Amino acid sequence: MSQTKLFDPFTMWKDIYERTEATWGEVIQETLKKESFSEGMGQTLTNNLQYQELVTKMTEAYLKQVNMPTRGEIASVASLIVNLEGKVDDLEEKIEEDTLKNELGKEIGQLKKAVTHIDKKVEKVLEMLEELTTKPGPSAKEKQ
Amino acid sequence: MVYSSVQEWDKWMDGMPEELKSSYERFKRVSDVLTVEPEPKVGQTPKEVIWTKNKAKLYRYQTTLKKTNKVPILMIYALINKPYILDLTPGSSLIEYLTNEGHDVYLLDWGTPGFEDRHMKLDDYILDYMPRAVKKVLRASDAKEISLLGYCMGGTMTSIFAALHPELPIRNLIFMTSPFDFSDAGLYSNWLDKRYFNLDKLVDTVGLVPFEMIDFGNKLLSPISNTYGPYIGLMDRVDNEAFVENWKLMQKWLNDGIPFPGEAYRQWIGEFYQENKLLNDELMIRGRKVQLSVIQANVLNIAAKRDNIAAPKQVEPLNAAISSKNKTFHLMDTGHVSVVVGRKAVQETYPLIANWLTENSK
Repeated sequence: MSQTKLFDPFTMWKDIYERTEATWGEVIQETLKKESFSEGMGQTLTNNLQYQELVTKMTEAYLKQVNMPTRGEIASVASLIVNLEGKVDDLEEKIEEDTLKNELGKEIGQLKKAVTHIDKKVEKVLEMLEELTTKPGPSAKEKQ
Repeated sequence: MVYSSVQEWDKWMDGMPEELKSSYERFKRVSDVLTVEPEPKVGQTPKEVIWTKNKAKLYRYQTTLKKTNKVPILMIYALINKPYILDLTPGSSLIEYLTNEGHDVYLLDWGTPGFEDRHMKLDDYILDYMPRAVKKVLRASDAKEISLLGYCMGGTMTSIFAALHPELPIRNLIFMTSPFDFSDAGLYSNWLDKRYFNLDKLVDTVGLVPFEMIDFGNKLLSPISNTYGPYIGLMDRVDNEAFVENWKLMQKWLNDGIPFPGEAYRQWIGEFYQENKLLNDELMIRGRKVQLSVIQANVLNIAAKRDNIAAPKQVEPLNAAISSKNKTFHLMDTGHVSVVVGRKAVQETYPLIANWLTENSK
């Protein structure tokens, strides 16, 4: 007895996809390789660009008429900020490099070393003093 | 009101045959994934910004972890899509893996260019941003040498940078699916043919090349499977939660692109895809000739067998062009993106990079 399968749109969609890919995949790939395809795509792009150029020019003309800044004008303000930030970055770099090279930095380093050295010596003296004070004194027998 | 009718519909569906019910459940789940559920979180490895310039940010990752590898690694990303593919999600993140292995990882994120950046050239990125980022990394990590990792176009830019800066202490270079030879770039070579592709008109008209246009070109490489394939896959495996999570992550990244600064695009298409100048020592960056033979650092050059964006034949020729004594070409059985995310990436790419870096940083 055969069982009637219910309609499943997902399975149908998947089936269509797999069949299309199997049947047309290769044909599409072959088409994509053709010079005529590149030529057609290039032509479509150029047409779109011409249209876009026209729209941009018209928009800019309108914005000028109504005293509104265009995208280019707003972008040039942003460029000023970017350039300024670039100069700050250059300065920061210069300061960092100068600090690294600075003789003062070296001297401070040497001073730090000397202080650490003295610190260690003081530590040692303190330790010795502590030992002396905690050490039990000589016994009476020893004194005699 | 809507909620109650959905509930009623669900109740009504309960009485339907099992097959129809399951089909309905699947439909509901798919529509939830596509319309209701929030976008997945990406780039979750802890990081801090250590330098910014214009839209670019330099990140340092997991600063609190002990760095056992003394040579820091700076990742350079492409000008296409966003760099969080390198830190997609915990467990599938190259950055997380490397930092957990004790590497000091940095990433240079170019950010999203605005219309004011339409005049930015590759020269600017390579000569103004990258050297500064390298210096910042060396200072932040207090290291004497550096490793660089470039992904896709970021690798091509890294090779140019390394060739122009022999004075910098670049110890290791890792290139991941980066094209160097453009003499045969597959279908791109056909479509970007000078005779038909009006590059100058495009750049002059749009200024910033929109992401949708670049995405269209990538999808056109295999139009049916790239357009419908992901949705068929989702429909087919919507019961598998892990698959759905990965699907959402990948779709988020794939559709979260950025525009390409016009002047850089003019160079990228004109001087690389149309004239193949890099490998022929003809590329000039701000008046300086780029010669890959100057590169002497240790090189790990990774290509992916199933990559139709940077095919292995476009990647491999770098090794013959450089002077490095220690150079390895490694072919992965992955695609352009699965080289860096997914099971194969976690099992093979991440350990390969981590071990190679450790080995070459001693």
